[in-house]
Amino acid sequence: MNEIEQTGLAAMRDCWITGGTTFDLAPGAWKEIAGSASPDERERRLLAIAAQALDIALRPAAPKTLKRRPQLPELALPMLPERLRPLLRAALKHAADTRSKSRVVTLVASRGFVLHPMDWMPAASDQSSPDVYAPWVDWQAGADGEKPASQEHLTVENWDDFYPAARRTALADMRRTAPASARQLIETKASGEPAEIRIALVDLLRFGLGADDVPFLKSLSADRSGKLRELAGRLLARLGEHGSPGDGGPEDPTAELAAFIAEGKSGFIRRRTTYTPAKLKSPAQERRRAELFETCNLVDLATRFGTTESEFIGAWQFGAESNADILVARMVAASGSDAAVTHMADTLVAERDKPALFVLHLMARLDSRRKRVLVRSILKDTQHLGALNLAEGLEASWLEWADLTNGQTLAALRSAVAANDDAVRRGVDQLLETMGFLATAATAEKLIGDVVAAGMAPSAPSLGLLRLNASLAEH
Amino acid sequence: MEFDLKTIEALAPDQASLSAASRLTKQSNWPRLEKSDQLGLLWGECQGSGSNPYRVVVDTGDHGYKCTCPSRKFPCKHTLALMWIAATTPASFTAAGSTPEWVNDWLGRRRKTSPQPADPVPGAGGKSIGEASRDDESADIEDAAAVERREAAQRKRTLDTQSAVSAALDELDQWIADQLRLGLAGFVDNSSDRCRRIAARLVDMKATALAGRIDEIPSRLMGLRSEERPDAAIRELGKLVLVAKAWRSTPGDAELRRLVSTSESREQVLANPDAKQVESVWEVLGEKIESRRDGLVSHSAWLLDLKSASPQFALLLDYFPASAGRRSNAFTPGDRFDARLVFYPARQPLRALVADRKGDVPTGEWPDFGFHTADPLAAHAVHQNTAPWLTDCPVMLPPGAILLDDRGAAWWQAAGDPHGIALPIADTVNPTLLGLDLMATAALWNGSRLDLLAAQSGFGRLDLS
Repeated sequence: MNEIEQTGLAAMRDCWITGGTTFDLAPGAWKEIAGSASPDERERRLLAIAAQALDIALRPAAPKTLKRRPQLPELALPMLPERLRPLLRAALKHAADTRSKSRVVTLVASRGFVLHPMDWMPAASDQSSPDVYAPWVDWQAGADGEKPASQEHLTVENWDDFYPAARRTALADMRRTAPASARQLIETKASGEPAEIRIALVDLLRFGLGADDVPFLKSLSADRSGKLRELAGRLLARLGEHGSPGDGGPEDPTAELAAFIAEGKSGFIRRRTTYTPAKLKSPAQERRRAELFETCNLVDLATRFGTTESEFIGAWQFGAESNADILVARMVAASGSDAAVTHMADTLVAERDKPALFVLHLMARLDSRRKRVLVRSILKDTQHLGALNLAEGLEASWLEWADLTNGQTLAALRSAVAANDDAVRRGVDQLLETMGFLATAATAEKLIGDVVAAGMAPSAPSLGLLRLNASLAEH
Repeated sequence: MEFDLKTIEALAPDQASLSAASRLTKQSNWPRLEKSDQLGLLWGECQGSGSNPYRVVVDTGDHGYKCTCPSRKFPCKHTLALMWIAATTPASFTAAGSTPEWVNDWLGRRRKTSPQPADPVPGAGGKSIGEASRDDESADIEDAAAVERREAAQRKRTLDTQSAVSAALDELDQWIADQLRLGLAGFVDNSSDRCRRIAARLVDMKATALAGRIDEIPSRLMGLRSEERPDAAIRELGKLVLVAKAWRSTPGDAELRRLVSTSESREQVLANPDAKQVESVWEVLGEKIESRRDGLVSHSAWLLDLKSASPQFALLLDYFPASAGRRSNAFTPGDRFDARLVFYPARQPLRALVADRKGDVPTGEWPDFGFHTADPLAAHAVHQNTAPWLTDCPVMLPPGAILLDDRGAAWWQAAGDPHGIALPIADTVNPTLLGLDLMATAALWNGSRLDLLAAQSGFGRLDLS
């Protein structure tokens, strides 16, 4: 289209928008085509020519400010084979929430694969997906620029060459192998970061936390972020360090919390100290108690009662009030020393009843062996199978067939599958999903056969994760 | 649970369904018949009267079933035919290693029931599977005089339709002139009412297809930014003028008749010796299922010819009444199959029928199309030169990427040409796509927007439809 035609078309377009005849505005060549027809026909002919000109000769004008995102990085593991993607998508579709989806992703990573980015992407704020996804988390967080995924050791000098998620992964690795170097890096670089990032960095000290970290953590008591001061206090408490000493008066939170706990004695021959939750008078008191359990540290509370962490846990009367038990378990998980956590886990697992379930709140702090012991104990007991669905920090892909046959788990599952009760079936669906995450491929395969024989539809969506798990066996 | 003919007879809603099912039991109607003994499932794809195949799955345990056809009979003839094949020639079903995704989808949605009774349902008595088989064997024999009468009536109907359509196009011409006189600004603002009124008139005067197209103009305009709508209105109305003129010059032209009034039947296309036929390996690029304002649902499956040196496409297009319920996909994007396609005669043949489907082909990368031309819309220009009334044109775009403008709208741009042509994309895109280099992208260009179908990238094939 030449310039005359372009000018003519623009004038015709303006005329048509408001309404009217455009013949006089049309370029000469177009007028010839419109010819000597009636005025309406001339307009239609010109309209047809204009339509074609707009379609062929003109192209959309691209804005000059088009922005290109950096290329999505390739991950260190291979992509899940194409033929398994339908199974994966079925499992992801059935996974109701982020946590369930994260389990699917973790299972696949445990077998050495990553997902296709169009099937699943971690959120920018994701800190629970496997470390292999760190480059995608950074990409999602909008880390622009062309920083190569660094394979180098993280140092002060190359700190800026790492995106935040990659840096977190590298620091967590360092804390496991060279905790002092990692702490020095955090000490040097964290102060220049915003509070949110400072908190994430200091939180990494929980890996390999030791007495050497105390001076740095203490130095954070002057940090401008309240959340960071709280985090540092909890980490110090784990190391047996007391927080800022209270005056013991009514304003001291630890003293206030202690008032919610009744100290008593039991036993006729050997008098033992016991701690039980005091009877509450109102929901407001219940809320306040929950707040205090969240903010106070175990070591301070134990000291308040003139005892040690382990003695306090040993004397706590589990089973007296479930809500209080859960709050104690959470406090121990947040601020208890490693010794206190394992002591509590071992004590509760040994009790083998409902109290054992409170260990679930400690799960994230337990070592791999204790986690497995707990899961096996819940499976064997079968009374609280549903609690498994709530467990955090479980590892994927280790549950053997013998763990299911050693007890009444399979019998309980079979009878639940055969039950004609929607609530029971929903429970089974959730449990099978958890099993799909925990089981080895061989266990998954056998479990599918078992529940199908018990009457579950072979094609039930709740078997999705087990099927994916079993299919990953050959890889 | 195995099927027997008594069960099928009992499940059939009426004798007509059984008779129709009997005619569908030929193997040639079923390019895919598979089963999973472990899951107790049978499934298949039936090449029915539509362009897209119907997908049928049956649970042998409780006789639950699902078919993607729009029939209101339950079970439909396709389901009955699948059960019939299972009862009479079970060896026709291949044991499948895994269930396709569409079967999994159905399984995920359905609620398991207890097995349906094989007893006749009330009000559906008088069915006989034996009679249905005999129906199939006895073909009606028409005498010569009846044939002559039928053909004469057909010719008269054609002439009547032509005359009505001609009058309809006169009315359309006048309507277009009125819109220009009154101003396109007003037309854009009131396009919904104005288009509805003229479309209703065109339906009355047998220009049904054109009416359907006009009914869709408002939604196409509203999909654009307000400043783009006047130009789009010029394009839409100008193309209507071209269709009307072309039809008047050759009212018997099959392509124009299809655009203005009605389509020829599947049988007519298959019997047409001049219809273009292509035997090749086809990949399903993507499907579009859209509800239209005229109460129909259009179901389009876009295919790519994998044996052609330059990108060649085919469109399997069906229309169903929206009242028939939600449509399911006929294919899974990325499916590949070996088939002979027959194209509806047209200047740029795109719409096609699957005449003969031979089997599935493993997935892989697209062929290297070379991309010698600098203009990614060259194919669109070729289409417009020969058939300027076309709205959507399939294009294969060279290596490029998806970028965002200041308003957050997505654009496709060729690789290595930051100041070159960029094409706006119709919908919002998956943000992940912004980080992928696209080696080739299949899309539909409608003159103002790209509708993405599929792409090849470093992460393999991407389904974008």
